Amino acid sequence: MIEEPYRWVEAIANRREYIEHQLSGGSPIAALSYRGGILLFTLGRERQKLFEIYDRIGMGGIGHPGDIERLRMAAIELTSTEGFARSAHDVSLRRLANYSLSPLLKAAFEQVYGPPYLARMLFAELGRNGAPNSFLRLDYDGAIQTNGGVFRRAIEEYGVISGTATSTTGMEEFLRKQTLPAASLDRALSIALDAWTVGHLTLSADPKDEPPTKEQIAGHRAEQLAGAAIEAAILEYSSPLPMTWRTLADAEIRVTLQ
Amino acid sequence: MELRAAREPASPDAGDFATLLRQHGLYPPQAAIAAPSPGSPFATPTQATTILAFKFAGGVLVAGDRRATAGNTVVYDRADKVLEIDTHSLMAIAGVPATAWEMARVLEHSFQFYRRSQLQEMSLEGKVRALSKLLRDNLGFVLQGVGVVVPIFAAFDSIAATARLYFYDAMGAQFEAADYAATGSGSPAVRSVLHYENTWGTKPLVKRRESEAIVLALRALDTAAETDTATGGVDRRGRVYPIIKIISKAGIRTLAEKDLARVFQREVS
Repeated sequence: MIEEPYRWVEAIANRREYIEHQLSGGSPIAALSYRGGILLFTLGRERQKLFEIYDRIGMGGIGHPGDIERLRMAAIELTSTEGFARSAHDVSLRRLANYSLSPLLKAAFEQVYGPPYLARMLFAELGRNGAPNSFLRLDYDGAIQTNGGVFRRAIEEYGVISGTATSTTGMEEFLRKQTLPAASLDRALSIALDAWTVGHLTLSADPKDEPPTKEQIAGHRAEQLAGAAIEAAILEYSSPLPMTWRTLADAEIRVTLQ
Repeated sequence: MELRAAREPASPDAGDFATLLRQHGLYPPQAAIAAPSPGSPFATPTQATTILAFKFAGGVLVAGDRRATAGNTVVYDRADKVLEIDTHSLMAIAGVPATAWEMARVLEHSFQFYRRSQLQEMSLEGKVRALSKLLRDNLGFVLQGVGVVVPIFAAFDSIAATARLYFYDAMGAQFEAADYAATGSGSPAVRSVLHYENTWGTKPLVKRRESEAIVLALRALDTAAETDTATGGVDRRGRVYPIIKIISKAGIRTLAEKDLARVFQREVS
């Protein structure tokens, strides 16, 4: 039945539609560069969505918690064993995503008898010795979207994931207009919250709709902030240790955003 | 091909880095427990010696000499035997460096791996136990005469807000030291010095200030080097001084060589 090529294409299309529907309610996650490093940011109500992967790599995920957990563990195990067997300098996001995670996600997605991963992930890696930061979106089908820097594509100092393509594009367009890297962490937090708000407002928008206005963003931002917990973490250049990840507590940053 | 965590989330090994390494063949499997072969080329493995640690008013001081030997040959005179495992714990080693440094590396990665994967810090008891387990797994090599490691583990206990000190035997038994611990071939001399100073000295070790503690550590190591050829004294020509690290609530601090040189000149030589 599914052995026939047409049926296989149809099965994949159904599967894509199903997964997109499952992910469509996901709260957006924004990551962006600031002078001191990288900020990862989201608002949430329940579970943790931002995670430390390795010394200079952080991750955010939306989707099914069980699938995010499996991918998170795989990423931690891959980077940790490499960091042990070789050195922490040999661990790179590019290799983790391109050579390990992407092929396996694709295989799981296209083997229509097995379960796919209901997960969309955002990775951020702090550049070493002045090298640019990397932001990378990894989708359930293994597709990778990087922040440029190759083949004449300018480097983008941000990366986002969201439940729908419209929302993702909306956030990217918003961030493209900002001055990045942000001058300070406070500024970065404010930009990230605005980007999150744009993403949240456009989750169920039509691609042809006008982007939200400044007033709409300000109003929705205050409303959402009051009813949700802030989840934020930074990867810091100035960390005295090889580990650069630090979680920011809600209480620590809420004052600067209100 | 299936992408999966190497261990089931519900398994008792979840968060255990050494198990993960063994699955990938990156850490030696447990050696068979066997008698040493008489003609073994490792009849005189490289060894490293004399580590001391004691509690003083400002936390725990851990000091080690710099010499590594094989039989009566000095292999290396700048060995670092006091190793930082994380921000608040230190492992100091006596024994075979090849095994000891590997153990320290496994331990360092284990604590990180546990924190990242389990999303919580490993407890101090867990860390102390992790080293004990590595030592027990190494027993086969110990019996073959090729991998004896006898470490000291010092850490700051954030819950009790006090620095703690543990020493081990080669089989992995762990003992918490009340005041001081010493290990390695020069340790009998060092233990005598520390016992004497603690009992009949000007004041007990835990009451001493940092400057007094540093002088005592340097003098004790010098005493050990006097009679033990496997312990390196101070090489003033090569400017090689012992490694001294201090753990307190603020974390780990390594004393600068130039400060040690000054103290040594004034108080020891």
